[in-house]
Amino acid sequence: MKLETLKADLVERLGLEEAIKLAGKKTVPVHKHTFWYFWGGISLFSFLIQVVTGILLMVYYRPGPEAYESVRQITYQIQFGWLIRSVHNWSANFFLFSVFVHMFSVFLMKAYRRPREVGWYSGIALLLLGLTFGFSGYLLPMDELSFFATKVGMEIPNAIPIIGPPIANLLRGGLEVNEFTVQRFFALHVVILPLLYMPLLGLHLWMVQKHGNAAPPSEEAKEPSQRKTMPFFPNFVAQDLGVWLIVLNLISLLAALFPWQLGPQADPLAAAPEGIHPEWYFMSQFAMLKLIGRVIPGLAGEAAAMTLFTLGLVLWAMIPVFDKDKTNTKRSRQVLYFGIFVILVLLSTTFMGFVI
Amino acid sequence: MNYPVWDVPGVGGPWVIGIISIFHVLIAWFAVGGGIYLPYAERKLYREGREEWLPVLKKHSRMFLVLTGVFGAVSGVGIWFAIGLVQPEATSTLIHNFVFGWAIEWVFFVIELAAAAVYYYTWDRIPRELHLKVGWLYAISSFLTLVIINGILSFMMTPSQAWLNVAGTGTEASQFWAAFFNPTYFPSLFMRTLACLSLAGIYALITYGRVTDEALQATRTVMVRWSAKWLIPMALLLPVGLGWMYVTMEPESREIMSLGFSTIGSGLFTQVTRISMMTVLTTVTVAGAVYFFAFLFPRDLTAGHAFALLGLAAIATSSTEYARETIRKPYVIQEHMYSNSIRMNEVEKYNTEGYLVNSKWNPPQMEPVAKGEAMFRGQCMSCHTRSGYRSMERLLQKRDRKAIDQLLQTLHDFEPDSPYRKYMPPLVGTQDERDSLAVYLEKLSLGKTEPALALNAAR
Repeated sequence: MKLETLKADLVERLGLEEAIKLAGKKTVPVHKHTFWYFWGGISLFSFLIQVVTGILLMVYYRPGPEAYESVRQITYQIQFGWLIRSVHNWSANFFLFSVFVHMFSVFLMKAYRRPREVGWYSGIALLLLGLTFGFSGYLLPMDELSFFATKVGMEIPNAIPIIGPPIANLLRGGLEVNEFTVQRFFALHVVILPLLYMPLLGLHLWMVQKHGNAAPPSEEAKEPSQRKTMPFFPNFVAQDLGVWLIVLNLISLLAALFPWQLGPQADPLAAAPEGIHPEWYFMSQFAMLKLIGRVIPGLAGEAAAMTLFTLGLVLWAMIPVFDKDKTNTKRSRQVLYFGIFVILVLLSTTFMGFVI
Repeated sequence: MNYPVWDVPGVGGPWVIGIISIFHVLIAWFAVGGGIYLPYAERKLYREGREEWLPVLKKHSRMFLVLTGVFGAVSGVGIWFAIGLVQPEATSTLIHNFVFGWAIEWVFFVIELAAAAVYYYTWDRIPRELHLKVGWLYAISSFLTLVIINGILSFMMTPSQAWLNVAGTGTEASQFWAAFFNPTYFPSLFMRTLACLSLAGIYALITYGRVTDEALQATRTVMVRWSAKWLIPMALLLPVGLGWMYVTMEPESREIMSLGFSTIGSGLFTQVTRISMMTVLTTVTVAGAVYFFAFLFPRDLTAGHAFALLGLAAIATSSTEYARETIRKPYVIQEHMYSNSIRMNEVEKYNTEGYLVNSKWNPPQMEPVAKGEAMFRGQCMSCHTRSGYRSMERLLQKRDRKAIDQLLQTLHDFEPDSPYRKYMPPLVGTQDERDSLAVYLEKLSLGKTEPALALNAAR
């Protein structure tokens, strides 16, 4: 009884009634593709895990010349440091994977159409920021692998015509990857990117709340009376929590079974280890650089690859402009084929990146 | 070694047993738990007049019959094939000790199968009371199959001192009951029963998740919530079961576990602790996910959710089985037979007479590489493969001959402080045989050997 009184008091004092009312307004379509609606939530949850574990890592991490030593201490000396670091890394990978799945499911459900364009644009921006989070975080341990992978990875921005090299130098803090780069990447990773990310995430979530989940075209074609929905709060939230629990379980298992290791300290004078490559989420660009480099050698090839890639990204981001309405026109089919083409290219070049 | 070696490239022999066993256990435990679930639900139906449950229960009993009667039975036979091929010596020991137990299990199994078929085909055809009795007959006989197989499985982990005292004397069967009701018998039975009840609930959710008929939605809601409660015993009693298991284990196994737990913080904890952690975490997740997916809003449950729960249950089950195997290492039958089928009391004999001369399936004359390969197949391949699972190529890390010799000497000496002693059996054989193994391993380490080539040439 006392609990009920407390609940009522809180609702009254905090004005929760309005929030509950707002949450209750939103419904989630129920159909055979409902599963894909979980991926936005999964992305959000793995991001939250990174925020928490990232804050804990910051307690002991020391950017600059001591970066490697501090990560060594975190991994091998500080109690449960290995766990926090492994969870941070695994959830980062899981985060980017789920963001990709989320983006492609949104694309295939045509959830970028009016009135959800802002959700799409903000989502693309969040993806790019997420990739930058990954890139900047990867260097921070300053072990051999992260050093050379970053060095190789910097070839991607470096290849952008004209503005590429100055950007790469600015990021590196010079012509080479060194402790100044670590300092800059750290600032980027824990201050600049979160400052940009948080408000954008707020906007993105607000858009989802405002417009609700889009149903796929096959569902839209049904009579309204035949469509099923469930309340977002509390029903879908309960399911989200169930899925989050499973995700937490998976990340914990990965961290326990395959804890993130720390390689030998980076030695800039040493030769790069064999088969060095960036993380999987940059593999597609990396493979394209290599492939086009074989056809057009030298700087021209790099520039061509980056132009192609940037053009593809711009086209991808602008999809809501081409495919606006809820009618299944020729144009919307073309966009669908373009999307499938993009997915196939990304998958095949990522795969090729690991074998070539 | 009295038997030929089954060479399974890639995954290796133990995983053939493992994959079939995990599949089988997920169905066999359902056969036991679901066997209790069905008559219990039917009894509730009659007592509380819940006639609307009938069509849903019939549907569930059909899935039950197909899964247990076909997939469960076939995979059970599959385990027999697999253990006979991968661990023939251990299988032989088990048969010699438990032939009577297995014969009884077979009887219960036949009753179980017949009762399951009768149960499904006689809904509405025989009096209700009789139908319910058939259900209970099924439940009792299937539970008794668990009662028996649990004795044999737990024996491998803790064979009991009374049995170990007579092991190798030819009078092992005189200690049948001591071996059967061994120290970990009751905690194992307790844990397995809890798992059976949980799986009964999860499989029921799969059936109910597939009920889409609008007219049955209210019934479905009640049944989903009722089935979700079948996971409560596991959620509440898991710590009791694990604690009970821990105190009844062999001291060596307990030492490995406690060492593992005390070093979690530093991240150096043992593989078995990691795997045990998986069991506990995943079991808690299963309980939590059932609460969110099924108990809180039963109407929203779909078959997809239920399959996800089954997938998690598979992770929990397989990690538990894996932990059990790991704790038992370096034995396949604790304190009696090593995981490479060599009995503890045969070590001296093999060291003086030679391992290969006592292995009947090898040619009498062999070149060193072929001899080394025969040693590898006999003593290493029960856990390692050449280049797949626990790959020797990878583990040797391009070691040279000298380093390989040192490693083999450490394995042969089997000193109490040897780091390998906790999970690897001693290497047995004469100096010449061990040298031949070193020759073969050096080739493997440098990637210069073709699988089975040398031995085939010798044949």
